[in-house]
Amino acid sequence: MVDALARNAPALTSARFSVSKGLITVGSATVILFLISGVLAPSSISGTSLSGMLPIACVLAVAGLGQMLVVQQGGIDLSVPGMISLTAVIVTHNPDGNDALLLPAIALALVFAVVAGFANGLMIGSLRLNPIIATLGTNALLYGADLAISGGRPRITTKLMQTISGGQTFGIPNAVFFALGVLIVVSVLVKKTVAGRRFEAVGANPEAARAIGLRVRSHQTLAYVWAQLLYCLAGIMIAGITAQPSAFEGDKFLLPSVAVVVLGGTSLLGGRGFPLATLIAAVFLQQLTQFVITLGVSTAIQTLVQAAALAVGVSLYTVNWRAVFARFSRTPSVPPPPTAAPPAPSSLENTTPAAASADAV
Amino acid sequence: MNTLHDTTATRSATLEMSHISKFYAGVAALTDVSVEIRPGEVHAILGENGAGKSTLMNIASGSTPPSAGSILMNGESYDSLTPTLAGTLGVAIVHQHPAVLGDMTVEENLRVALPDSVFADGSNDEVARALLNGVGLDAHLKDRVETLTLAQKHLLEIAKAFARHPRLLILDEPTAPLGREAVDLLFGRVREAVAAGTSVVYITHRLAEVRELADRVTVLRDGRVRGTAVVDEITDDELLALIVGRKLESTFPPKSLLPLDTEVNFDVASISGPGFVDVSIAGRRGEIIGVAGVVGNGQSELLRALAGLENFEGEVSVGGTSYTPRDLLHRAAFMPADRHREGLMMSLSVRENAAVSALKKFTSTYLVSRSKELDAVSTSLTELSVKAPSLDAPVGALSGGNQQKVVISRALLSEPVLLIADEPTQGVDVGARVEIYRILREASESGIPVIIASSDAKELEGLCDRVIVMSRGHVVATLSGDQITEEIIVSAAVSSTTQSIQVGTGKSTVKRSTGVRRFLQGDYAPSALLVAVIILLGAYVLTQNPQYLGSFNIFSMLMTACGLGAIAMGQTIALLLGGIDLSVGPLAGFLVVIASYFINDGASTGTIVLGLALMVVAAIVVGLVNGVLIRYLKFTPIAATLTLYIALGGFAFLLRDTQGGYISTDFVTNLSSTVGPVPVAFIALVVIALVAEYFLRKRRWGWNLRAVGSNEESARSVGVSINRTVILGYILVSLFVFLGAVILMTQIGIGDPAAGPSYTLTSITAVVLGGTSLLGGRGTFIGSLLGAVLLTQVLNATTVLGLGSVFQYVFQGLLILVAAIVYSVARSRKRRAAEQL
Repeated sequence: MVDALARNAPALTSARFSVSKGLITVGSATVILFLISGVLAPSSISGTSLSGMLPIACVLAVAGLGQMLVVQQGGIDLSVPGMISLTAVIVTHNPDGNDALLLPAIALALVFAVVAGFANGLMIGSLRLNPIIATLGTNALLYGADLAISGGRPRITTKLMQTISGGQTFGIPNAVFFALGVLIVVSVLVKKTVAGRRFEAVGANPEAARAIGLRVRSHQTLAYVWAQLLYCLAGIMIAGITAQPSAFEGDKFLLPSVAVVVLGGTSLLGGRGFPLATLIAAVFLQQLTQFVITLGVSTAIQTLVQAAALAVGVSLYTVNWRAVFARFSRTPSVPPPPTAAPPAPSSLENTTPAAASADAV
Repeated sequence: MNTLHDTTATRSATLEMSHISKFYAGVAALTDVSVEIRPGEVHAILGENGAGKSTLMNIASGSTPPSAGSILMNGESYDSLTPTLAGTLGVAIVHQHPAVLGDMTVEENLRVALPDSVFADGSNDEVARALLNGVGLDAHLKDRVETLTLAQKHLLEIAKAFARHPRLLILDEPTAPLGREAVDLLFGRVREAVAAGTSVVYITHRLAEVRELADRVTVLRDGRVRGTAVVDEITDDELLALIVGRKLESTFPPKSLLPLDTEVNFDVASISGPGFVDVSIAGRRGEIIGVAGVVGNGQSELLRALAGLENFEGEVSVGGTSYTPRDLLHRAAFMPADRHREGLMMSLSVRENAAVSALKKFTSTYLVSRSKELDAVSTSLTELSVKAPSLDAPVGALSGGNQQKVVISRALLSEPVLLIADEPTQGVDVGARVEIYRILREASESGIPVIIASSDAKELEGLCDRVIVMSRGHVVATLSGDQITEEIIVSAAVSSTTQSIQVGTGKSTVKRSTGVRRFLQGDYAPSALLVAVIILLGAYVLTQNPQYLGSFNIFSMLMTACGLGAIAMGQTIALLLGGIDLSVGPLAGFLVVIASYFINDGASTGTIVLGLALMVVAAIVVGLVNGVLIRYLKFTPIAATLTLYIALGGFAFLLRDTQGGYISTDFVTNLSSTVGPVPVAFIALVVIALVAEYFLRKRRWGWNLRAVGSNEESARSVGVSINRTVILGYILVSLFVFLGAVILMTQIGIGDPAAGPSYTLTSITAVVLGGTSLLGGRGTFIGSLLGAVLLTQVLNATTVLGLGSVFQYVFQGLLILVAAIVYSVARSRKRRAAEQL
């Protein structure tokens, strides 16, 4: 009988391409945003407007993908601004307009990135420090280095740098190619290699990962190193895009880098990452800014829309809306007795701890 | 005892549970159970693991609602109870796993769990001391519970239960971690309570304890009552017959029929590790080895050691090769009892879970080959007849049985040298059990040694060729062939009189903690350290620059520390709750912008009061929104307060897109008044910190707050309202930010929409310097204020010494990292020390 059962069980299938909830949400939100932009403020999707918006969106996407790797391990990285600013400063100050000195400068920035990444990773992975504290400290130290090198004064990007990261190829900003390249590399490394697959498993449940013999600490540590390398790249990109990067160029990327990860559907508790959705979320946030600027309303509105987008985005993952709608549509027809119908909050409260925590973002 | 028993029949029962049934997802845990507990009796509940004992008592204590049936207490009938209602009705329960709060002291654990009335007669310390003496717990009242041994934590739980002078006391296997001396003391207390009229329900596995203590006994099996009897009128054999003899609900695959000379392929020679001593097992190729015993007697620890998850001494060899714990971690496949916690990556798909241990086998060149992976995984899962919507379905959405099959599939795909399964059929439906038995048997026949621990003796009887029975960490019987019967296994497990290997009497092993050690382990050690650093730094700077202690410098430093300190004290509350509030900085900025419309030169007192009132209202609303997002919409604290961070920045710019609205100079002057060089505002803040500190240590509000941050589940079970505590907590955070904003008004002097955000990270830095843990549950307001002072002092010193901004950043970074590392290392060392006791 058992064998018969086994034979009758339908073969399990796997879809070649799967589309995550985050990708659908953020993807359709972006399409709608572009449609609205086209109707209400056509100039916000003009060629010039897009070629101004896209490079910044791409820098945000690269930083966001770095943040995503850290968030996948249940961490958070507040040293994004320090590394971006430091890199932008190194690649402008050290060459000081001399293209020949650009490469050594980039190498120096990479060294800083690796050191900062290992410092974060070891403090968090091995010493078990809270990621917020450790990366906050590292960020301050990176800014120390930033100011020591720059003295707070901006310098002009070298010509080569401007051509590479600020230029265009076939009418498309080069930053777009950088971002797509990073997207492909991150996606392949995380989804297609043995190490990447283990990396996601460790993030999803470190205890279970340890029980099957995976090296939990190494994966957690390396997440911060990879992330720093991506922030470093973001810094190189921003240095070329803005002709004269300030010493605090990275500051404006900290919160958005977390926001795009969350909007992309990656849980702040760790686990699976969604690189493509993260990149689209970056385009969404940046186009939102562009749209609002074109409309001419105050930047305050733009900020508020960002906050609302974040709140809606998070609650899509945390709240079981189907259950909420079901109850609201049922309530008018059959008024249940008071004992049988707990108010909305307590029904959410009653989810099992495991389910609740898995859903929390 | 008999005389008591005779008189009770005429009085009404303390608790009468009638026709109680309980279903979990359609599976019956209890069916039509009726039990009557009489006043002044000790009523033992006996039964195997999973018989429904704990479920029944959870219903009686209100933590689980029954599916059907009624509960009669004090002459009133209830459909179900809540923990609070059960508490008022006089029910006290001691759980198998102590619900204590590790970050709080012994005394605070008593205070948070017990009503104030308990402490009404006498000084708090005396009452608490008497409660501990009553159960023989020889710990200092100010000891942090984290530093107690497991036995001491149990005694603390028991002390809490007795302190309520309950009408009904439920003890769920209370003696498991206790040594003989503590058990005797406990039994003495139980007899005293019974003499005073308390009814006691005593859940146990040990017949000897039933004989020693109980008047009547009820035996449960498979969620049904098998019988109730007066203890003196029933023999051990009769009791055993009631406990065992469960109807066989699954069929087992035939056992191996091996020639006697089959090679031994699995040999464990006298291994010892945490929780077990001197265990030896040998199994021949094709044999399944069972590990039996009452749950918590070292079986899980033994299995974890064999899986390489714990260290052990002794030798383990498989097929003639010897393996170290490190080898085993990679080569042995382990199926843990708790699938949710360490079995599966619940958010990942069926395919990813099944493949994760064998990924290297699926590579072609450098990448994981999709086709190789799919072939192997779907073949394996089909062989095990896993039912799932697709390979892409999250494994958490599968039934327990199918989840367990995914675990087995993962194990088999990794081609292990050893297969170790802890409670492989727990939470698995009957149909899937049969298949799991078959799969384990096939694995064993293919030559992989299979070791199974199960609390279900019937299962081991049906499945295993060799069984060891464990009790308190020792092997008390090794059975093979026809000896493997449920009766022999259960009788070996319940009749054993071995002593617990970690004998904890709550007295002998632990040195009394000294005052110095308690201080170092306490919350105030970081504050003392900060004071020392502040003085040393001040002295050094003074030698470099005599102007340092000039009254203007003192004033401006303390004023800055004051604004930051108030915000940091708010942040402290969020961290004590185990959360974080990123919105404090923008909130402070937003409140100053509000003020810039009302509190101007020439504004009437009424306008100023209105402005302040609006600031308070805005602060309360923000705290409320944060709390509601976190508790009701299940945002993580970071996500919730990040949303508010962005939004408040937006609102600030909405009110003012550039700087404007000078703050009233009178207002600024008044707030800047001083006593000597010290601002009055700073003195006021110190007073507020001291008052807040008092509430945190000595009042229920503070205990609740820290209880929630320390351990939410334990806090809930001692009756703390989690939602209310958290939401009120975040409102208080915002109110402290309001105080900070009032000080900032004097420093910024104008409505500046961009002024706030930097205070978020600075406030976190200050709080961390003060020694508050980001894990929740421990921290001080004083420390946070001192942290703010030190941070301000360091930044000021770089200016006074002419060091420039580079040093500001470097010092700030080093300060927070050094503080975090020092506190974290000190804490983990303390915890290790406690574990070794």
